[in-house]
Amino acid sequence: MSNRFRVTLVRVLTIQVITLLLLGWLQHHFSTPP
Amino acid sequence: MHPLNWVIVVGWLAYAVSHGIRRSKNTKELEGYFLANRSLPWWAVGLSVMATQLSAVTMIGTTGQGATDGMRFVQFYFGLPLAMVLLGVTLVPFLHGANVFTAYEFLERRFDAKTRTFTALLFLLSRGMSASTIIAAPAVVFSAIFGWNLWLCVALIGVPAILYTMVGGVQAVTWVDVKQMFLIVGALLAVVITLLVQIPLSPGAALHAAGAAGRLRVFDFSFSVTNTYTFWSGLIGGTFLMLSYFGTDQSQVQRYLSAKSVEEARSSLLISAYWKIPLQALVLLVGVLVFVFYETHEQPILFNPSNDRVVRAAEPAQYAALEQRFRAATSLAARDSARAAAYELTSTVTHQAVKDVKKADVNYVIPRFVIGYLPIGLAGIFIAAVIAAAMNAISGELTSLSTATVIDFYRRWIRHDASDAHFLVVSRAATVFWGIFACIVAKFAVNLGSLIEVVNRFGSFFYGSILGVFLLAMIPRARANGAFVGLIAGMAAVGFVNFSQPDVSFLWHNVIGAVTVVVVGMALSLAQPQAVEAARAL
Repeated sequence: MSNRFRVTLVRVLTIQVITLLLLGWLQHHFSTPP
Repeated sequence: MHPLNWVIVVGWLAYAVSHGIRRSKNTKELEGYFLANRSLPWWAVGLSVMATQLSAVTMIGTTGQGATDGMRFVQFYFGLPLAMVLLGVTLVPFLHGANVFTAYEFLERRFDAKTRTFTALLFLLSRGMSASTIIAAPAVVFSAIFGWNLWLCVALIGVPAILYTMVGGVQAVTWVDVKQMFLIVGALLAVVITLLVQIPLSPGAALHAAGAAGRLRVFDFSFSVTNTYTFWSGLIGGTFLMLSYFGTDQSQVQRYLSAKSVEEARSSLLISAYWKIPLQALVLLVGVLVFVFYETHEQPILFNPSNDRVVRAAEPAQYAALEQRFRAATSLAARDSARAAAYELTSTVTHQAVKDVKKADVNYVIPRFVIGYLPIGLAGIFIAAVIAAAMNAISGELTSLSTATVIDFYRRWIRHDASDAHFLVVSRAATVFWGIFACIVAKFAVNLGSLIEVVNRFGSFFYGSILGVFLLAMIPRARANGAFVGLIAGMAAVGFVNFSQPDVSFLWHNVIGAVTVVVVGMALSLAQPQAVEAARAL
Protein backbone atom coordinates (compact mmCIF):
# COMPACT_ATOMS: atom_id res chain seq x y z
CA MET A 1 0.00 0.00 0.00
CA SER A 2 1.60 3.26 -1.12
CA ASN A 3 1.89 6.22 1.21
CA ARG A 4 -0.24 8.39 -1.07
CA PHE A 5 -3.04 5.81 -1.11
CA ARG A 6 -2.89 5.50 2.68
CA VAL A 7 -3.20 9.27 3.11
CA THR A 8 -6.15 9.46 0.68
CA LEU A 9 -7.88 6.51 2.33
CA VAL A 10 -7.50 8.00 5.81
CA ARG A 11 -8.73 11.40 4.60
CA VAL A 12 -11.82 9.97 2.84
CA LEU A 13 -12.68 7.67 5.74
CA THR A 14 -12.28 10.52 8.24
CA ILE A 15 -14.69 12.70 6.27
CA GLN A 16 -17.10 9.77 5.99
CA VAL A 17 -16.99 9.07 9.73
CA ILE A 18 -17.66 12.77 10.45
CA THR A 19 -20.60 12.72 7.98
CA LEU A 20 -22.05 9.58 9.56
CA LEU A 21 -21.63 11.02 13.08
CA LEU A 22 -23.51 14.14 11.97
CA LEU A 23 -26.32 12.02 10.49
CA GLY A 24 -26.37 9.95 13.70
CA TRP A 25 -26.62 13.14 15.77
CA LEU A 26 -29.48 14.38 13.51
CA GLN A 27 -31.34 11.10 14.03
CA HIS A 28 -30.69 10.89 17.78
CA HIS A 29 -31.17 14.55 18.72
CA PHE A 30 -34.40 15.20 16.80
CA SER A 31 -36.07 11.84 17.36
CA THR A 32 -36.52 12.59 21.06
CA PRO A 33 -39.03 15.26 22.15
CA PRO A 34 -37.48 18.70 22.85
CA MET B 1 -47.73 28.19 -13.41
CA HIS B 2 -46.78 31.87 -13.75
CA PRO B 3 -45.35 32.83 -17.19
CA LEU B 4 -42.12 34.07 -15.51
CA ASN B 5 -41.42 30.49 -14.40
CA TRP B 6 -41.68 29.33 -18.01
CA VAL B 7 -39.39 32.13 -19.16
CA ILE B 8 -36.79 30.83 -16.66
CA VAL B 9 -37.20 27.21 -17.85
CA VAL B 10 -36.98 28.06 -21.57
CA GLY B 11 -34.13 30.52 -20.91
CA TRP B 12 -32.12 27.85 -19.07
CA LEU B 13 -32.66 25.27 -21.83
CA ALA B 14 -31.47 27.77 -24.47
CA TYR B 15 -28.43 28.65 -22.33
CA ALA B 16 -27.53 24.99 -21.74
CA VAL B 17 -27.63 24.14 -25.46
CA SER B 18 -25.69 27.25 -26.55
CA HIS B 19 -23.13 26.86 -23.74
CA GLY B 20 -22.52 23.21 -24.61
CA ILE B 21 -21.95 24.00 -28.27
CA ARG B 22 -19.78 27.06 -27.50
CA ARG B 23 -17.44 25.19 -25.12
CA SER B 24 -16.67 22.38 -27.60
CA LYS B 25 -13.26 22.59 -29.25
CA ASN B 26 -11.43 20.28 -31.64
CA THR B 27 -14.53 18.17 -32.17
CA LYS B 28 -13.38 17.40 -35.71
CA GLU B 29 -11.10 14.69 -34.31
CA LEU B 30 -12.42 11.50 -32.78
CA GLU B 31 -10.32 11.92 -29.62
CA GLY B 32 -11.57 15.48 -29.20
CA TYR B 33 -15.20 14.46 -29.68
CA PHE B 34 -15.16 11.40 -27.39
CA LEU B 35 -12.39 12.22 -24.89
CA ALA B 36 -11.90 16.01 -25.11
CA ASN B 37 -8.27 15.22 -26.11
CA ARG B 38 -7.79 14.18 -22.46
CA SER B 39 -7.64 17.83 -21.50
CA LEU B 40 -10.36 18.40 -18.91
CA PRO B 41 -9.56 19.60 -15.36
CA TRP B 42 -10.28 17.29 -12.43
CA TRP B 43 -12.97 19.48 -10.89
CA ALA B 44 -14.99 19.65 -14.13
CA VAL B 45 -14.72 15.87 -14.60
CA GLY B 46 -15.63 15.30 -10.93
CA LEU B 47 -18.74 17.48 -11.13
CA SER B 48 -19.70 15.78 -14.40
CA VAL B 49 -19.35 12.34 -12.76
CA MET B 50 -21.74 13.45 -10.01
CA ALA B 51 -24.09 15.10 -12.49
CA THR B 52 -24.37 11.99 -14.67
CA GLN B 53 -25.43 9.99 -11.63
CA LEU B 54 -27.94 12.59 -10.44
CA SER B 55 -31.02 12.31 -12.64
CA ALA B 56 -34.52 13.76 -12.51
CA VAL B 57 -35.49 10.63 -10.56
CA THR B 58 -33.26 11.97 -7.76
CA MET B 59 -34.95 15.37 -7.90
CA ILE B 60 -38.53 14.11 -7.79
CA GLY B 61 -38.37 10.42 -6.75
CA THR B 62 -35.73 10.60 -4.01
CA THR B 63 -37.10 13.83 -2.55
CA GLY B 64 -40.54 12.16 -2.55
CA GLN B 65 -38.99 9.17 -0.81
CA GLY B 66 -37.61 11.57 1.83
CA ALA B 67 -41.13 12.88 2.43
CA THR B 68 -42.81 9.47 2.67
CA ASP B 69 -40.03 7.24 4.02
CA GLY B 70 -37.45 9.55 5.59
CA MET B 71 -33.66 9.64 5.37
CA ARG B 72 -32.80 5.93 5.43
CA PHE B 73 -32.23 5.82 1.65
CA VAL B 74 -28.90 7.61 2.22
CA GLN B 75 -27.47 4.29 3.53
CA PHE B 76 -27.46 3.13 -0.11
CA TYR B 77 -24.39 5.35 -0.68
CA PHE B 78 -22.32 4.33 2.34
CA GLY B 79 -20.01 2.17 0.20
CA LEU B 80 -19.31 4.93 -2.32
CA PRO B 81 -16.35 6.72 -0.66
CA LEU B 82 -14.42 3.45 -0.17
CA ALA B 83 -15.24 2.38 -3.76
CA MET B 84 -13.85 5.69 -5.10
CA VAL B 85 -10.56 5.26 -3.22
CA LEU B 86 -10.22 1.64 -4.38
CA LEU B 87 -10.93 2.61 -8.00
CA GLY B 88 -8.35 5.39 -7.77
CA VAL B 89 -5.58 2.86 -7.16
CA THR B 90 -6.88 -0.03 -9.27
CA LEU B 91 -8.97 0.47 -12.40
CA VAL B 92 -8.41 4.20 -13.01
CA PRO B 93 -4.63 3.90 -13.67
CA PHE B 94 -5.21 0.78 -15.81
CA LEU B 95 -7.92 2.39 -17.95
CA HIS B 96 -6.43 5.89 -18.22
CA GLY B 97 -2.96 4.52 -18.92
CA ALA B 98 -4.24 2.15 -21.63
CA ASN B 99 -5.22 5.11 -23.89
CA VAL B 100 -8.54 3.57 -24.79
CA PHE B 101 -11.86 5.13 -25.78
CA THR B 102 -14.01 2.62 -23.91
CA ALA B 103 -13.60 0.40 -20.88
CA TYR B 104 -14.48 -2.60 -23.08
CA GLU B 105 -11.66 -1.82 -25.54
CA PHE B 106 -9.28 -2.38 -22.62
CA LEU B 107 -10.76 -5.87 -22.15
CA GLU B 108 -9.77 -6.88 -25.70
CA ARG B 109 -6.19 -5.78 -25.09
CA ARG B 110 -6.10 -7.75 -21.86
CA PHE B 111 -8.23 -10.76 -22.87
CA ASP B 112 -9.89 -11.17 -26.27
CA ALA B 113 -12.44 -9.76 -28.71
CA LYS B 114 -15.35 -11.90 -27.53
CA THR B 115 -15.10 -10.64 -23.92
CA ARG B 116 -14.94 -7.05 -25.20
CA THR B 117 -17.87 -7.43 -27.57
CA PHE B 118 -20.04 -9.27 -25.07
CA THR B 119 -19.53 -6.72 -22.28
CA ALA B 120 -20.05 -3.80 -24.71
CA LEU B 121 -23.27 -5.43 -25.94
CA LEU B 122 -24.54 -5.83 -22.37
CA PHE B 123 -23.74 -2.15 -21.81
CA LEU B 124 -25.66 -1.05 -24.92
CA LEU B 125 -28.70 -3.15 -23.97
CA SER B 126 -28.93 -1.94 -20.38
CA ARG B 127 -27.99 1.71 -20.93
CA GLY B 128 -30.17 2.01 -24.03
CA MET B 129 -33.18 1.04 -21.95
CA SER B 130 -32.19 3.01 -18.86
CA ALA B 131 -31.78 6.15 -21.00
CA SER B 132 -35.47 5.86 -21.79
CA THR B 133 -36.50 5.53 -18.13
CA ILE B 134 -34.43 8.65 -17.32
CA ILE B 135 -36.61 10.62 -19.76
CA ALA B 136 -39.86 8.79 -18.99
CA ALA B 137 -39.92 9.40 -15.21
CA PRO B 138 -40.00 13.24 -15.29
CA ALA B 139 -41.97 13.34 -18.59
CA VAL B 140 -44.84 11.33 -17.07
CA VAL B 141 -44.90 13.60 -14.00
CA PHE B 142 -44.83 16.81 -16.10
CA SER B 143 -47.57 15.43 -18.33
CA ALA B 144 -49.84 14.72 -15.36
CA ILE B 145 -49.06 17.97 -13.50
CA PHE B 146 -49.31 20.39 -16.45
CA GLY B 147 -51.81 18.36 -18.50
CA TRP B 148 -49.47 18.31 -21.50
CA ASN B 149 -49.13 15.72 -24.22
CA LEU B 150 -46.54 13.11 -23.21
CA TRP B 151 -44.67 13.50 -26.52
CA LEU B 152 -44.18 17.19 -25.77
CA CYS B 153 -42.76 16.41 -22.29
CA VAL B 154 -40.42 13.75 -23.72
CA ALA B 155 -39.24 16.20 -26.41
CA LEU B 156 -38.74 19.02 -23.86
CA ILE B 157 -36.17 16.88 -22.03
CA GLY B 158 -34.78 14.79 -24.88
CA VAL B 159 -34.30 17.26 -27.77
CA PRO B 160 -31.98 19.82 -26.07
CA ALA B 161 -29.83 17.02 -24.60
CA ILE B 162 -29.57 15.25 -27.98
CA LEU B 163 -28.70 18.55 -29.67
CA TYR B 164 -25.72 19.61 -27.55
CA THR B 165 -24.45 16.03 -27.12
CA MET B 166 -24.51 15.45 -30.87
CA VAL B 167 -22.71 18.70 -31.72
CA GLY B 168 -20.19 18.97 -28.90
CA GLY B 169 -19.60 15.39 -27.73
CA VAL B 170 -18.06 14.80 -24.31
CA GLN B 171 -16.85 18.42 -23.91
CA ALA B 172 -20.36 19.81 -24.29
CA VAL B 173 -21.67 17.15 -21.90
CA THR B 174 -19.03 17.93 -19.25
CA TRP B 175 -19.30 21.73 -19.32
CA VAL B 176 -23.11 21.70 -19.35
CA ASP B 177 -23.01 19.19 -16.46
CA VAL B 178 -20.81 21.58 -14.46
CA LYS B 179 -23.16 24.54 -14.92
CA GLN B 180 -26.24 22.42 -14.26
CA MET B 181 -24.78 20.98 -11.04
CA PHE B 182 -24.60 24.55 -9.67
CA LEU B 183 -28.22 25.12 -10.75
CA ILE B 184 -29.38 21.86 -9.11
CA VAL B 185 -27.58 22.36 -5.78
CA GLY B 186 -28.62 26.04 -5.73
CA ALA B 187 -32.27 25.09 -6.35
CA LEU B 188 -32.20 22.46 -3.57
CA LEU B 189 -30.67 24.92 -1.07
CA ALA B 190 -33.19 27.61 -2.07
CA VAL B 191 -36.08 25.18 -1.53
CA VAL B 192 -34.74 24.22 1.93
CA ILE B 193 -34.55 27.90 2.93
CA THR B 194 -38.04 28.59 1.53
CA LEU B 195 -39.46 25.61 3.41
CA LEU B 196 -37.88 26.73 6.69
CA VAL B 197 -39.50 30.16 6.16
CA GLN B 198 -42.91 28.77 5.14
CA ILE B 199 -43.26 26.10 7.85
CA PRO B 200 -44.96 27.80 10.81
CA LEU B 201 -42.45 26.28 13.26
CA SER B 202 -38.89 27.10 14.24
CA PRO B 203 -36.26 25.05 12.31
CA GLY B 204 -35.58 23.02 15.48
CA ALA B 205 -39.28 22.33 16.06
CA ALA B 206 -39.71 21.38 12.37
CA LEU B 207 -36.89 18.84 12.65
CA HIS B 208 -38.32 17.52 15.93
CA ALA B 209 -41.69 17.04 14.16
CA ALA B 210 -39.90 15.12 11.37
CA GLY B 211 -37.93 13.09 13.93
CA ALA B 212 -41.06 12.19 15.89
CA ALA B 213 -42.59 10.79 12.67
CA GLY B 214 -39.46 8.68 12.06
CA ARG B 215 -38.42 10.71 9.00
CA LEU B 216 -34.93 11.43 10.37
CA ARG B 217 -34.10 7.80 11.01
CA VAL B 218 -30.93 7.23 9.00
CA PHE B 219 -29.36 4.07 10.38
CA ASP B 220 -30.63 0.50 10.35
CA PHE B 221 -27.90 -1.80 11.66
CA SER B 222 -29.87 -5.04 11.14
CA PHE B 223 -28.15 -7.49 8.81
CA SER B 224 -30.64 -8.56 6.17
CA VAL B 225 -29.85 -9.51 2.60
CA THR B 226 -33.48 -8.84 1.67
CA ASN B 227 -33.43 -5.19 2.77
CA THR B 228 -31.65 -2.74 0.46
CA TYR B 229 -31.64 0.15 2.90
CA THR B 230 -29.54 -1.06 5.83
CA PHE B 231 -26.09 0.01 6.96
CA TRP B 232 -24.50 -3.31 5.98
CA SER B 233 -26.26 -3.62 2.59
CA GLY B 234 -25.12 -0.07 1.80
CA LEU B 235 -21.58 -0.58 3.01
CA ILE B 236 -20.87 -4.02 1.50
CA GLY B 237 -23.35 -4.37 -1.38
CA GLY B 238 -23.09 -0.64 -2.09
CA THR B 239 -19.29 -0.80 -2.37
CA PHE B 240 -19.57 -3.51 -5.05
CA LEU B 241 -22.35 -1.63 -6.86
CA MET B 242 -20.33 1.60 -6.89
CA LEU B 243 -17.18 -0.25 -7.98
CA SER B 244 -19.21 -1.72 -10.87
CA TYR B 245 -20.90 1.54 -11.80
CA PHE B 246 -17.94 3.93 -11.55
CA GLY B 247 -15.31 1.39 -12.59
CA THR B 248 -16.84 -0.46 -15.52
CA ASP B 249 -19.83 1.49 -16.86
CA GLN B 250 -18.81 3.50 -19.92
CA SER B 251 -21.13 6.37 -18.94
CA GLN B 252 -18.86 6.98 -15.92
CA VAL B 253 -15.52 5.68 -17.24
CA GLN B 254 -15.67 8.03 -20.24
CA ARG B 255 -15.89 11.00 -17.85
CA TYR B 256 -12.56 10.32 -16.18
CA LEU B 257 -10.85 9.08 -19.35
CA SER B 258 -11.22 12.70 -20.52
CA ALA B 259 -9.16 13.99 -17.54
CA LYS B 260 -5.68 15.46 -18.15
CA SER B 261 -3.80 12.75 -16.25
CA VAL B 262 -4.24 9.71 -14.01
CA GLU B 263 -3.82 11.98 -10.98
CA GLU B 264 -6.58 14.30 -12.22
CA ALA B 265 -8.82 11.30 -12.98
CA ARG B 266 -8.31 10.05 -9.39
CA SER B 267 -9.00 13.49 -7.93
CA SER B 268 -12.19 13.76 -9.97
CA LEU B 269 -13.58 10.61 -8.34
CA LEU B 270 -12.69 11.91 -4.87
CA ILE B 271 -15.21 14.75 -5.35
CA SER B 272 -17.93 12.07 -5.27
CA ALA B 273 -16.21 10.39 -2.30
CA TYR B 274 -16.46 13.59 -0.27
CA TRP B 275 -19.71 15.10 -1.49
CA LYS B 276 -22.10 12.33 -2.62
CA ILE B 277 -23.43 11.42 0.85
CA PRO B 278 -23.95 15.07 1.96
CA LEU B 279 -25.64 15.85 -1.39
CA GLN B 280 -27.94 12.85 -1.07
CA ALA B 281 -28.73 13.86 2.53
CA LEU B 282 -29.64 17.36 1.25
CA VAL B 283 -31.95 15.84 -1.40
CA LEU B 284 -33.69 13.71 1.24
CA LEU B 285 -33.85 16.65 3.67
CA VAL B 286 -35.89 18.59 1.09
CA GLY B 287 -38.40 15.72 1.14
CA VAL B 288 -38.40 15.54 4.95
CA LEU B 289 -39.13 19.27 5.21
CA VAL B 290 -41.90 18.98 2.60
CA PHE B 291 -43.41 16.27 4.82
CA VAL B 292 -43.39 18.71 7.79
CA PHE B 293 -44.81 21.43 5.53
CA TYR B 294 -47.76 19.22 4.55
CA GLU B 295 -48.31 18.29 8.20
CA THR B 296 -48.97 21.98 8.85
CA HIS B 297 -50.94 22.67 5.63
CA GLU B 298 -53.78 21.01 3.76
CA GLN B 299 -52.56 18.10 1.64
CA PRO B 300 -54.24 15.92 -1.01
CA ILE B 301 -54.95 12.28 -0.24
CA LEU B 302 -53.51 11.33 -3.65
CA PHE B 303 -50.67 13.48 -4.95
CA ASN B 304 -50.90 12.05 -8.49
CA PRO B 305 -53.43 14.40 -10.17
CA SER B 306 -54.33 12.02 -13.00
CA ASN B 307 -55.13 9.18 -10.56
CA ASP B 308 -57.06 11.69 -8.45
CA ARG B 309 -59.23 12.63 -11.47
CA VAL B 310 -59.78 9.01 -12.58
CA VAL B 311 -60.74 7.67 -9.13
CA ARG B 312 -62.92 10.70 -8.36
CA ALA B 313 -64.86 10.10 -11.59
CA ALA B 314 -65.11 6.30 -11.21
CA GLU B 315 -65.90 5.99 -7.49
CA PRO B 316 -67.11 9.46 -6.35
CA ALA B 317 -68.89 8.40 -3.15
CA GLN B 318 -66.19 6.04 -1.91
CA TYR B 319 -63.42 8.53 -2.74
CA ALA B 320 -65.24 11.41 -1.00
CA ALA B 321 -65.66 9.25 2.12
CA LEU B 322 -61.95 8.43 2.11
CA GLU B 323 -61.08 12.11 1.70
CA GLN B 324 -63.33 12.97 4.62
CA ARG B 325 -61.69 10.24 6.73
CA PHE B 326 -58.26 11.60 5.70
CA ARG B 327 -59.15 15.20 6.70
CA ALA B 328 -60.70 14.12 9.99
CA ALA B 329 -57.66 12.01 10.98
CA THR B 330 -55.85 13.44 13.98
CA SER B 331 -52.77 11.22 13.86
CA LEU B 332 -50.19 10.37 11.23
CA ALA B 333 -51.08 6.66 11.50
CA ALA B 334 -54.77 7.41 10.80
CA ARG B 335 -53.86 9.58 7.79
CA ASP B 336 -51.50 6.87 6.46
CA SER B 337 -54.28 4.31 6.86
CA ALA B 338 -56.76 6.48 4.88
CA ARG B 339 -54.10 7.08 2.19
CA ALA B 340 -53.39 3.32 2.00
CA ALA B 341 -57.13 2.75 1.44
CA ALA B 342 -57.03 5.38 -1.37
CA TYR B 343 -54.15 3.47 -2.99
CA GLU B 344 -56.24 0.27 -2.79
CA LEU B 345 -59.20 2.02 -4.41
CA THR B 346 -56.94 3.46 -7.16
CA SER B 347 -55.54 -0.01 -7.74
CA THR B 348 -59.06 -1.42 -8.20
CA VAL B 349 -60.07 1.37 -10.59
CA THR B 350 -56.89 1.52 -12.69
CA HIS B 351 -55.95 -2.19 -12.51
CA GLN B 352 -52.43 -1.35 -11.34
CA ALA B 353 -50.66 -3.12 -8.46
CA VAL B 354 -51.02 -1.24 -5.15
CA LYS B 355 -47.23 -0.95 -4.79
CA ASP B 356 -47.03 0.68 -8.25
CA VAL B 357 -49.80 3.15 -7.35
CA LYS B 358 -47.93 4.07 -4.16
CA LYS B 359 -44.57 4.25 -5.94
CA ALA B 360 -45.97 6.56 -8.62
CA ASP B 361 -47.76 8.76 -6.05
CA VAL B 362 -44.45 9.41 -4.23
CA ASN B 363 -43.11 11.04 -7.44
CA TYR B 364 -45.80 13.73 -7.29
CA VAL B 365 -45.25 14.88 -3.68
CA ILE B 366 -42.51 17.40 -4.53
CA PRO B 367 -43.87 18.63 -7.92
CA ARG B 368 -47.26 19.40 -6.29
CA PHE B 369 -45.46 21.39 -3.59
CA VAL B 370 -43.30 23.23 -6.15
CA ILE B 371 -46.27 24.24 -8.31
CA GLY B 372 -48.59 25.04 -5.41
CA TYR B 373 -46.41 26.75 -2.84
CA LEU B 374 -43.00 27.88 -4.14
CA PRO B 375 -42.75 31.62 -4.90
CA ILE B 376 -42.80 32.83 -8.52
CA GLY B 377 -39.35 32.42 -10.02
CA LEU B 378 -38.18 29.76 -7.59
CA ALA B 379 -40.74 27.29 -8.99
CA GLY B 380 -39.29 27.96 -12.47
CA ILE B 381 -35.75 27.46 -11.17
CA PHE B 382 -36.73 24.13 -9.57
CA ILE B 383 -38.48 22.87 -12.74
CA ALA B 384 -35.40 23.95 -14.75
CA ALA B 385 -33.23 22.03 -12.24
CA VAL B 386 -35.34 18.87 -12.69
CA ILE B 387 -34.98 19.11 -16.50
CA ALA B 388 -31.26 19.90 -16.05
CA ALA B 389 -30.80 16.77 -13.92
CA ALA B 390 -32.55 14.68 -16.59
CA MET B 391 -30.40 16.23 -19.34
CA ASN B 392 -27.19 15.62 -17.36
CA ALA B 393 -27.98 11.93 -17.03
CA ILE B 394 -29.30 11.44 -20.58
CA SER B 395 -26.41 13.33 -22.25
CA GLY B 396 -23.85 11.24 -20.34
CA GLU B 397 -25.60 8.08 -21.44
CA LEU B 398 -25.99 9.21 -25.07
CA THR B 399 -22.33 10.08 -25.50
CA SER B 400 -21.23 6.78 -23.93
CA LEU B 401 -23.73 4.77 -26.00
CA SER B 402 -22.47 6.49 -29.15
CA THR B 403 -18.82 5.83 -28.17
CA ALA B 404 -19.41 2.13 -27.48
CA THR B 405 -21.45 1.74 -30.70
CA VAL B 406 -18.75 3.34 -32.88
CA ILE B 407 -15.56 2.16 -31.16
CA ASP B 408 -16.56 -1.32 -29.97
CA PHE B 409 -18.75 -2.31 -32.90
CA TYR B 410 -18.51 -0.09 -36.01
CA ARG B 411 -14.75 0.57 -35.96
CA ARG B 412 -13.92 -2.87 -34.53
CA TRP B 413 -16.05 -5.04 -36.83
CA ILE B 414 -17.22 -3.00 -39.83
CA ARG B 415 -14.77 -0.19 -40.86
CA HIS B 416 -11.28 -0.25 -39.34
CA ASP B 417 -9.53 2.21 -41.59
CA ALA B 418 -11.90 5.10 -42.21
CA SER B 419 -10.96 8.74 -41.53
CA ASP B 420 -11.84 10.61 -38.34
CA ALA B 421 -14.32 12.66 -40.39
CA HIS B 422 -16.15 9.48 -41.35
CA PHE B 423 -16.22 8.16 -37.78
CA LEU B 424 -17.46 11.51 -36.53
CA VAL B 425 -20.41 11.44 -38.93
CA VAL B 426 -21.23 7.91 -37.71
CA SER B 427 -20.77 8.98 -34.05
CA ARG B 428 -23.17 11.90 -34.41
CA ALA B 429 -25.66 9.64 -36.20
CA ALA B 430 -25.30 7.09 -33.36
CA THR B 431 -25.97 9.83 -30.76
CA VAL B 432 -29.13 10.88 -32.60
CA PHE B 433 -30.18 7.23 -33.05
CA TRP B 434 -29.84 6.44 -29.33
CA GLY B 435 -31.53 9.73 -28.43
CA ILE B 436 -34.54 9.00 -30.64
CA PHE B 437 -34.61 5.39 -29.41
CA ALA B 438 -34.66 6.61 -25.77
CA CYS B 439 -37.45 9.12 -26.55
CA ILE B 440 -39.61 6.55 -28.34
CA VAL B 441 -39.19 3.90 -25.62
CA ALA B 442 -39.82 6.64 -22.99
CA LYS B 443 -43.13 7.51 -24.65
CA PHE B 444 -44.28 3.92 -24.37
CA ALA B 445 -42.57 3.25 -21.01
CA VAL B 446 -45.82 4.05 -19.22
CA ASN B 447 -47.37 0.97 -20.78
CA LEU B 448 -44.16 -1.06 -20.63
CA GLY B 449 -43.78 -0.94 -16.84
CA SER B 450 -43.20 -4.67 -16.48
CA LEU B 451 -40.85 -4.78 -19.48
CA ILE B 452 -38.73 -1.97 -18.04
CA GLU B 453 -38.60 -3.85 -14.74
CA VAL B 454 -37.46 -7.00 -16.56
CA VAL B 455 -34.72 -5.01 -18.30
CA ASN B 456 -33.58 -3.45 -15.02
CA ARG B 457 -33.57 -6.85 -13.36
CA PHE B 458 -31.62 -8.22 -16.32
CA GLY B 459 -29.13 -5.37 -15.77
CA SER B 460 -28.52 -6.48 -12.19
CA PHE B 461 -27.62 -9.95 -13.55
CA PHE B 462 -24.42 -8.73 -15.14
CA TYR B 463 -23.36 -5.54 -13.39
CA GLY B 464 -21.32 -7.31 -10.69
CA SER B 465 -20.17 -9.93 -13.21
CA ILE B 466 -18.61 -7.26 -15.46
CA LEU B 467 -16.83 -5.88 -12.39
CA GLY B 468 -15.50 -9.42 -11.85
CA VAL B 469 -14.03 -9.46 -15.38
CA PHE B 470 -12.26 -6.13 -14.77
CA LEU B 471 -10.92 -7.43 -11.44
CA LEU B 472 -9.57 -10.47 -13.30
CA ALA B 473 -7.94 -8.13 -15.82
CA MET B 474 -5.74 -6.80 -13.03
CA ILE B 475 -4.59 -10.27 -11.96
CA PRO B 476 -1.56 -11.22 -14.12
CA ARG B 477 -2.32 -14.97 -14.17
CA ALA B 478 -5.93 -14.55 -15.36
CA ARG B 479 -6.54 -15.80 -18.93
CA ALA B 480 -9.06 -14.88 -21.64
CA ASN B 481 -11.09 -18.10 -21.56
CA GLY B 482 -11.23 -18.01 -17.76
CA ALA B 483 -12.56 -14.44 -17.90
CA PHE B 484 -15.23 -15.23 -20.50
CA VAL B 485 -16.46 -18.45 -18.84
CA GLY B 486 -16.27 -16.68 -15.45
CA LEU B 487 -18.50 -13.88 -16.84
CA ILE B 488 -21.12 -16.40 -17.98
CA ALA B 489 -20.86 -18.27 -14.64
CA GLY B 490 -21.27 -15.00 -12.70
CA MET B 491 -24.40 -14.07 -14.64
CA ALA B 492 -25.79 -17.59 -14.20
CA ALA B 493 -25.11 -17.46 -10.43
CA VAL B 494 -26.93 -14.13 -10.11
CA GLY B 495 -29.80 -15.45 -12.28
CA PHE B 496 -30.07 -18.55 -10.07
CA VAL B 497 -30.13 -16.47 -6.85
CA ASN B 498 -32.61 -14.05 -8.41
CA PHE B 499 -35.10 -16.80 -9.30
CA SER B 500 -34.56 -19.12 -6.32
CA GLN B 501 -34.34 -16.33 -3.70
CA PRO B 502 -36.26 -13.40 -5.25
CA ASP B 503 -36.28 -11.49 -1.94
CA VAL B 504 -32.50 -11.01 -1.93
CA SER B 505 -31.78 -7.32 -2.56
CA PHE B 506 -30.18 -6.46 -5.91
CA LEU B 507 -27.29 -4.84 -4.02
CA TRP B 508 -26.09 -8.35 -3.10
CA HIS B 509 -26.32 -9.51 -6.74
CA ASN B 510 -23.23 -7.41 -7.46
CA VAL B 511 -21.27 -9.13 -4.70
CA ILE B 512 -22.38 -12.61 -5.87
CA GLY B 513 -21.62 -11.84 -9.53
CA ALA B 514 -18.16 -10.31 -8.94
CA VAL B 515 -17.02 -13.03 -6.51
CA THR B 516 -18.25 -15.86 -8.79
CA VAL B 517 -16.46 -14.42 -11.84
CA VAL B 518 -13.17 -14.02 -9.97
CA VAL B 519 -13.34 -17.51 -8.41
CA VAL B 520 -14.40 -19.34 -11.60
CA GLY B 521 -12.15 -17.22 -13.83
CA MET B 522 -9.06 -17.79 -11.68
CA ALA B 523 -9.77 -21.52 -11.24
CA LEU B 524 -9.99 -21.97 -15.03
CA SER B 525 -6.99 -19.74 -15.69
CA LEU B 526 -4.84 -21.63 -13.22
CA ALA B 527 -6.03 -24.98 -14.59
CA GLN B 528 -5.41 -23.94 -18.20
CA PRO B 529 -1.56 -24.01 -18.30
CA GLN B 530 -1.59 -27.35 -16.51
CA ALA B 531 -3.97 -28.76 -19.11
CA VAL B 532 -1.73 -27.48 -21.90
CA GLU B 533 1.34 -28.97 -20.21
CA ALA B 534 -0.49 -32.28 -19.68
CA ALA B 535 -1.46 -32.35 -23.37
CA ARG B 536 2.14 -31.63 -24.38
CA ALA B 537 3.38 -34.45 -22.13
CA LEU B 538 1.15 -36.89 -24.02
